[in-house]
Amino acid sequence: MIYWGGNPAECHPRHFTKYTIMQKGKFVPNGRKGRTMVLVDIRETPSAKAADLFLQIRPGKDFEVLTILRALIKNQRVDSRIAEETGLTLEQLQNLVDRMKNARFGIIFFGMGLSMTRGKHMNSAGVLMLAAEMNAYTKFVAMPMRGHGNVTGSDMVLRWSTGYPFGVNLCRGYPRFNPGEFSTVDLLVRGDIDAALILGADPGATMPQPGIDHLARIPTIVLDPKVTHTSRLARVHITTAATGISAPGTVYRMDEIPLPLRPALKSPYPTDEEVIRRIRELVAKKPAWNETTNGELATV
Amino acid sequence: MGLARLAGPTDDVIMITLTLKEQPSVPLEAEVISPDVLANLDHAAVRALPVYLGKRRLRLDEFFEVDGPGSEQIVIRGDAGKVKMIGRGMTRGSVRIKGNAGMHLGAEMKGGSIEVTGNASDWVGAEMTGGFIRIQGNAGGQVGAAYRGSLAGMNGGAILIGGTAGLEVGMRMKRGTIVVGKTVRDFAGLQMKGGTIFLLGGAEIRTGAWMFRGTIVSLLPVALLPTFSFACEYNPSFLRLYVKQLAALGVSLPNANGRWKRYTGDNSVPGKGEILIGEPEASAASATGVVSNSSGR
Repeated sequence: MIYWGGNPAECHPRHFTKYTIMQKGKFVPNGRKGRTMVLVDIRETPSAKAADLFLQIRPGKDFEVLTILRALIKNQRVDSRIAEETGLTLEQLQNLVDRMKNARFGIIFFGMGLSMTRGKHMNSAGVLMLAAEMNAYTKFVAMPMRGHGNVTGSDMVLRWSTGYPFGVNLCRGYPRFNPGEFSTVDLLVRGDIDAALILGADPGATMPQPGIDHLARIPTIVLDPKVTHTSRLARVHITTAATGISAPGTVYRMDEIPLPLRPALKSPYPTDEEVIRRIRELVAKKPAWNETTNGELATV
Repeated sequence: MGLARLAGPTDDVIMITLTLKEQPSVPLEAEVISPDVLANLDHAAVRALPVYLGKRRLRLDEFFEVDGPGSEQIVIRGDAGKVKMIGRGMTRGSVRIKGNAGMHLGAEMKGGSIEVTGNASDWVGAEMTGGFIRIQGNAGGQVGAAYRGSLAGMNGGAILIGGTAGLEVGMRMKRGTIVVGKTVRDFAGLQMKGGTIFLLGGAEIRTGAWMFRGTIVSLLPVALLPTFSFACEYNPSFLRLYVKQLAALGVSLPNANGRWKRYTGDNSVPGKGEILIGEPEASAASATGVVSNSSGR
């Protein structure tokens, strides 16, 4: 099992013990001893202690390393001199490929050190392609290590309701998918939107500055149990009950398993769902506004 | 809707001028601004064409001053940097934009020509199959690219960019020519399947990543992925055909007769694409020799 660009020992502390390296299984009766763990990262994090093999690569070289691995599994030629610019020698990479091919079931967990650095979605595409191509030799899968609460849930709901996981535009009455054009950060940075409803996220803490500036410029509504960076710059902040603590609901685990949440406490605040439902009911009472053109439209 | 359409073919000399009143606050989707749509419409019908501002379906004349009857020759004035899909799917005629253009300019176009004096945004000529696009300023990313989830990008025609271009230029392109005057950003020719990309001003990193086939010609040295292999140093005779073709489009390829280093890849696919890198200093010295060699063949 390969962890790439993530630090599960600190960021997903239960991942090792509950799901991945420690558990005993039908085909891995010895638990930790029956598995090999490889960590690929740009610095030696506490997760490296748990790894059998730690490969330190230079920052921003993930795509290059993944591309080399894709070539090596097919026994293709790789320029060793340029390959060493990644911080790893060709022998180290060949050793990793041999280990991957000898595995009975391999998995690559990739974190935000991969998907949020130069190359972004293509770095993730590199992992997914590598895992797909490894299936010519052995069973191999890839799974993202998600950073924030229930992002998998948002992906899942958008997927079964629109067919696309994110970056969906519904303006024309049907879903259109184009990350880069319709994804939140790009819309904000370009200033392409004139209102925002933020639900269960804190873009004010993570977005690039031009995006944050645009959020402050436009009417921004935030639904959040607590005061966040985004709620401070928002026009309206509606305090809601904390899901999982004082509000029921469903979260999706990183491996896309839905988990029901039972609240332990009561909250004086409404749930996110209730607020959205009430806004929707009030909006539905308003007259239709999408045909407010002056004069007749031509048909095309 | 009771709007009369002009019968019979329109006169090609007549132009229609659309002047943007002010830049819209959010992107305006105006795929109706295309010669195929405007050709046979009268003035009133053009003004009543629908455009989309967010979810609102509005008349074209709320955003543009329309001057002249419908025509295959369209002139757009003003900063249309937020007007998307101009000339989408067009098959004939011309669109001349005196200013900037928004995303998806000439996407899926089949014929005709588009000229922009300013800058263009992302997805210029995405999945086009024919026609000609010239951008005098800079272009965004995904020029001539395939849309997300689509197997093939540009499949014919030519895109000329005077300035710089963004990420993933020519992503999954299959045929056709892209010329970029200044630097392109990462992933030029990503997963390219055919066609030719000329990089007159070099590139940032990961040029030709995961390419299957096709040709990337760079006049400046580019950083190569380790999965490209040096093949040889030679003078590719087909470049002289491109010199003629590009000269007709107003582009000169200085060292076509010089020495070119050929790299093949991307071995991670494994692909049979090629990256040709010109040698500016050597080209002048060896140019005459190479020309005499090839003419003797």
